[in-house]
Amino acid sequence: MATKSPNRIIRWKETLEQLHFIANGSLSIIVFCVCFAAIVTIIESSFHMKIVIQNDSMVPGFAAMLILRELAVVVTALLLTSRVGAGIAAEVGTMKVTEQIDALKMLGIPPSTYLVIPRLIACIFGTMMLVVVANMACLLSAMVVSNSYLGYPPAIFLTAMRRFVQFQDLILAVVKAAVFGAVIPLISCYFGFRCEAGAEGVGRATTNSVVVGSIAVIVLDFVLSYAFSYLY
Amino acid sequence: MIRFKNLVKRFGERTVLRGISLDVRQGEILFILGTSGTGKSVLLKNIVGLLRPDEGEIWIDGQEVSKLTEEQYLPIRKKCGMVFQHPALFDSLTIHENVAFGLRRHFQFSEGEIGAKVKKALALVHLQGIESKRPGQISYGMQKRVSLARTVALEPEILLFDEPTTGLDPITTNAVNQLIQDLSHTLKTTSLVVSHDMQCALSIADRIVVLDQGSIVALGTPTEIKNSPVPLVKDFMAEVHS
Repeated sequence: MATKSPNRIIRWKETLEQLHFIANGSLSIIVFCVCFAAIVTIIESSFHMKIVIQNDSMVPGFAAMLILRELAVVVTALLLTSRVGAGIAAEVGTMKVTEQIDALKMLGIPPSTYLVIPRLIACIFGTMMLVVVANMACLLSAMVVSNSYLGYPPAIFLTAMRRFVQFQDLILAVVKAAVFGAVIPLISCYFGFRCEAGAEGVGRATTNSVVVGSIAVIVLDFVLSYAFSYLY
Repeated sequence: MIRFKNLVKRFGERTVLRGISLDVRQGEILFILGTSGTGKSVLLKNIVGLLRPDEGEIWIDGQEVSKLTEEQYLPIRKKCGMVFQHPALFDSLTIHENVAFGLRRHFQFSEGEIGAKVKKALALVHLQGIESKRPGQISYGMQKRVSLARTVALEPEILLFDEPTTGLDPITTNAVNQLIQDLSHTLKTTSLVVSHDMQCALSIADRIVVLDQGSIVALGTPTEIKNSPVPLVKDFMAEVHS
């Protein structure tokens, strides 16, 4: 009986299942939340601009820039940290507590490769795709609210948007999404692998993964935004 | 075959194993008994490198293994099969896939051969017709038996059982104990069984070791253990007689 290597690096079936869980499973909640975030951005910007400069004509362009550079990607990443990150930490933590990770080691499979790689790849691509969709949904809802609430028709919104926004903004948002998409599963798996025994241990691992993941997203957003500012 | 030399394992300030020295002979059934938290499972996990000793040595078939890297440990783990305290089945896989998992990873069998081996392993633990179910769809006792089948399917030279009958009904408990004995006699498998069940140990073990506070307090054949003057062993024997 010849032996074969037990270490297949990428498990495509598992990766696609994870991608389905991350992207398809999170799509509706992300679209729902970012649309409301965009609506609030438009309304608040208009309110404050009217107070400060007695004019809200710059709101559509300004909001479009804010949405593309920050809002859609950060809200998406934070929602994924809560939904996907918590899920991964709880799943891996439960596997640790119920000795499934030891069983993997006994069967000659490195748990880090077996569990982390599919989730990492799926989360990177899932977040990138979700951020593109979230940006589109955000801009669409901002355009609708600009039309109905501020009285700027879509043509004016799009003209203003072209003045403020470049295609590069979308590309950089997707780059940010890839970074956030990598950090979320890595942090969750880290806490999952360090999970202590019992339901309390799993709960603590889940909470820690969400807290640290959220902080990491916000800090990395600052670092990346600062770095990208040299590209504009 | 397996030799522990002054094995010490600590978790932070707490010393769980205090200088264990023990030889396990090839083909024997060695029961490890003791109260909860006395280091029995820790001792088993040290053999297969799931935990590493802080001091001392572990020798398996003439090779010192305690300092091996994860990569170097793979052949040792392949030689050993471990039945965990929890069933430790993979939730996302069916029962068939769980039992076939190690066979697919370690060997180049055809699907037909794998199917036959899975059926044979499940039949050993008196389970049939559940191959397409997921672990969540069967009882805890059945999950433990599937876990046993998954380990046995790989036909390891050394079998490590961490409380294999905990949570099982008396009939299945007897079947599992019988299976441990059969594997030892037919395949000459060396078996280390962590248990609380002195009655079972007396009936099927070749030797019994009793741990207390991380140290060996008694070691011998079932007859020697029955006559041991050690208070903890007497407590265990009292349980058997009651």
